[in-house]
Amino acid sequence: MESKKYWRELLLTSCLFISIFLVSTGSSSVRANWKMPYERAGFSKKAAAALLLNRFTFGPRPGQVEEIQELGLENWFESQLISTVDDQLHSRLEDFDILAMSNEQIAEKFPNPGAVLREAISKGVIPNDSLQKGSIAYQQALSDYMREQGLRRPIELQKQLVSQKIIRAAYSKYQLQEVMTSFWFNHFNVSMTNNRSALFIPSFERDVIRPHALGNFNDLLLQTAKSPAMLYYLDNFSSASDSNTISRRQASVKEGSRKEMDMKIKLKRKVNGLNENYARELMELHTMGVDGGFTQLDVTEAARVLTGWTVRPMGRFVNTQASSRRKQGGKVNGHGTVMDGDFVFTPARHDQGSKVVLGVNFPENSGYEEGVALIELLAAHRATANFISRKIAIRFVSDNPSAELVGKMATVFVKEKGDIPSVLRAMVQTEEFWEEIKAGEKIKSPFELAIGSVRNLDADLTQPYALYGWISRMGEKMYSYQAPTGFPDNGNFWINTGSLLNRMNFGLAMASGRLPGVRVNLLGLNKGHEPGSSKEALQIYSELLLPSRDLSATLQRLAPLLTDPTLGEKLEHASKQHNLPGDNPRDESYNKLQNDKKSQRGSNSTTLAQVVGLILGSPEYQKR
Amino acid sequence: MATRRAFIKASGLSIFGASIMGNIPDYVFQAAVSQTANSPFQKQNTLVCIFQRGAMDGLMAVSPFNDPFLKQARPSLFIKPGTSGTGLIDLDGTFGLHPALKGFQGLFGQGRLAIVQGIGSPNATRSHFDAQDYMETGTPFRKGTDSGWLNRSLSNRKKTHVDTPFSAVSLTSALPRSLYGKEPAIAISNLQDFAIQLKGNPGAAQAASERLEDLYDQTAQGLLQHTGKDSFEAMSLLQKTDLKGYKPEAGVRYPNSALGNSLKQIAQLIKMEVGLEIGFAESNGWDTHFNQGTVAGVFARNLLDFNDSICAFWEDLGAFQDQVTVMSMTEFGRTVKQNGTGGTDHGRASCNFILGHNVVGGRVYGTVSPLAPENLEDGRDLKVTTDYRAVFAEVAGRQLGIDNISNIFPDWEGQYLGLMKR
Repeated sequence: MESKKYWRELLLTSCLFISIFLVSTGSSSVRANWKMPYERAGFSKKAAAALLLNRFTFGPRPGQVEEIQELGLENWFESQLISTVDDQLHSRLEDFDILAMSNEQIAEKFPNPGAVLREAISKGVIPNDSLQKGSIAYQQALSDYMREQGLRRPIELQKQLVSQKIIRAAYSKYQLQEVMTSFWFNHFNVSMTNNRSALFIPSFERDVIRPHALGNFNDLLLQTAKSPAMLYYLDNFSSASDSNTISRRQASVKEGSRKEMDMKIKLKRKVNGLNENYARELMELHTMGVDGGFTQLDVTEAARVLTGWTVRPMGRFVNTQASSRRKQGGKVNGHGTVMDGDFVFTPARHDQGSKVVLGVNFPENSGYEEGVALIELLAAHRATANFISRKIAIRFVSDNPSAELVGKMATVFVKEKGDIPSVLRAMVQTEEFWEEIKAGEKIKSPFELAIGSVRNLDADLTQPYALYGWISRMGEKMYSYQAPTGFPDNGNFWINTGSLLNRMNFGLAMASGRLPGVRVNLLGLNKGHEPGSSKEALQIYSELLLPSRDLSATLQRLAPLLTDPTLGEKLEHASKQHNLPGDNPRDESYNKLQNDKKSQRGSNSTTLAQVVGLILGSPEYQKR
Repeated sequence: MATRRAFIKASGLSIFGASIMGNIPDYVFQAAVSQTANSPFQKQNTLVCIFQRGAMDGLMAVSPFNDPFLKQARPSLFIKPGTSGTGLIDLDGTFGLHPALKGFQGLFGQGRLAIVQGIGSPNATRSHFDAQDYMETGTPFRKGTDSGWLNRSLSNRKKTHVDTPFSAVSLTSALPRSLYGKEPAIAISNLQDFAIQLKGNPGAAQAASERLEDLYDQTAQGLLQHTGKDSFEAMSLLQKTDLKGYKPEAGVRYPNSALGNSLKQIAQLIKMEVGLEIGFAESNGWDTHFNQGTVAGVFARNLLDFNDSICAFWEDLGAFQDQVTVMSMTEFGRTVKQNGTGGTDHGRASCNFILGHNVVGGRVYGTVSPLAPENLEDGRDLKVTTDYRAVFAEVAGRQLGIDNISNIFPDWEGQYLGLMKR
């Protein structure tokens, strides 16, 4: 234990040192002493660089393919494995005050408006009959009351959460950390659609997921297990001991009677407090996988181990007496109460009996510690190594990675005790990785598509939330996937008739500068030079958007369009027929759009926008 | 191509217009060939589901008005039977429809509309999130189920034709949990958005559309290619119709509400015969904790919209009524007793409505005991006497021809109520 802690601290210190060094020098001093076998799979260094940027970041920024070649691909990869809290985005994130707020502060500031209304009515601030007059009247009264009390609407929380994520994904230098943050968030999915969980999601991402995204899987798993967002989302906060069933069940465990027993458990659960939701997903989704080799009995036993794992009462409407009683619990008192941040282990709700999970005995009266031991047992299980490795391979390689690739990664996962960077490093060192990438394809998720275009075009996001509607329409309503599975990570899920048209429309809108709050300067991208011909434009911008990709087929299909001498005229003409957003000087976005127009709508600018829009909407661009 | 052209001429598909000649959607073509019918999706059965989010007060919508306990528990929310919008519409001497549901009265009388009172989930959760989740997955004790019950219904239905992009359409901004799963389903709040468009520059959009269609056809493979093809074909199919200028049947007026607009568009899809099998719409605002009112007020307004939207939809279907069944659902009901703010809190059982020619209507199904505290769940709520899965299974099973209902509701073993004819 001691030495483990020592190494971790040493690692942390050295990471910190390296990141400070990185920032101060602006270039990486990280030297990788390993190689990626991309040449054997037939990739040039440039093609490999482009591919790495497409898979391990949210997309290459202009010039980045060259940059990382110069740095050395392995060195660059190594530098991306660093975990940091400082992403150099202070000025872009300063408007988002929730980022500095604790769970408790958020719970205080963003109460459920229904509960506030009830409070205001009971205080007589809002007359009870104002509701009869229609919703506008009382909504106004409620807003006034909330402002007076310094309270804010949950929608603000959601907007800030979404906006900061868009900013980080688009601009963070620590791209892989951000990619892995998305990956693990989706793996340990929680959803804003669950009101109770919603308030704690900002902290879930900030304090639980991101710091461990490139850390150790065991730590990550334990922190998710103790996080209010997860405890509420999968109901463990309410799960309590039912010792009567235990004795009866232990007496009646016989082969063949499982179904009957399950029924009894199910029946009992309604009456008593055991809730298996979290325990089941912990094994099925978070660690071993559905075919990982556990039984329903293991799930029930694991749920018993985790009884009493709950959340400290917080927020405007908690019962203050109960709250102060629990607050007095202290760190660890004689009765075994454990408090750690917002997490509380309450012995009174804990099932003190002995349990057996996956054949491992958990002796009676082991309290909080047996839950930690359970997490360690699951994190270290070979099925977990396989399941997690496969999921990582699906994220980075293809929808169907080979058993060989997954096996190699899983071996490292076990050997390095769940060290996530080791698994990633091992993955890119296999020949399978490069061969399978060549053979397969990954479809960008809507978020990746939108952020990728921002990065490829070096766009300036003045209102990041503007992208949210598009990302949702393309099928990825951020932070709102209702099921604990998270968004399925495969092309079949993302691509359907409705979403595909929206992807094309997004590309057209993005390139034409018609997304308010998203500034694109196409000419600036080409250092202010207007391409001499449409054909040249096609070459230049396709290389910017899809560096080092074989686009011969796409270019061939687009070329005839551009040789149409009347095209620009047609487009210009059509656009003049209509009022454009921002044409109204009273419109907020007027000034910005005027600027955009100057840079974009010169003689050929509409054609240019059209070219870029078509590339963004093309089949090739939908692939990572 | 020659055969395609010949087929088009013979089949009357030329209604799609000359420009689409030789470009008949693949799925239309295949379906038509396999069925040699004039219109490939004629007699396509459709199930339309309406989720009333927020938990509708079933005891106020369909009220057991003779029960003295109800009157006692709801001193200011009780409605007596009466006439012309002032009181309940007495259905059978036991239950009365809220006066806002006046359109339902006729449908009930014609035997088209069935009501199930006391429907709900075996899971006693009173959380909106959990209850909706459990209802939509169809697995009331399992949160991890990755698919929704409607998507599984689509996988298990009797296939009468090839899939179309419009097999399952939700008129919502995001896909509802009910439609999560491996069968393709689309969420779109406005059918007019099903197009290549660029705000303020339709000329550019038109030019782009042609190029993109070509790119997806010529440069893509696999998933992107065939989905691209389907998208553009579906788009041109929709564009043949004047979506914006849609004229419902004579005399039909949809409310200008979210539900009204959703159902209007579902009717459009049904009448266009594009292969719609599952339509999904939502109605919000049922969480009536405050002053829900009686014959007027928040609840009545919402219920009137519900009534008017469904009745308009039904009338608008005209001859298509034969192939359509409509079913409503809500996550739970509300407390028998009114609360301190003139509303009702989260309860257990509610009621739902099933409408169609294949419905054994004119009856209120389910068991409702006198609302004495000892008959209530936890002493406060209407007991769930009909598992929602019994109703969903029968309605979807019959309407879509699903043989193996345990694929839809794996943990359910129960009896149908017999509310569908076949």
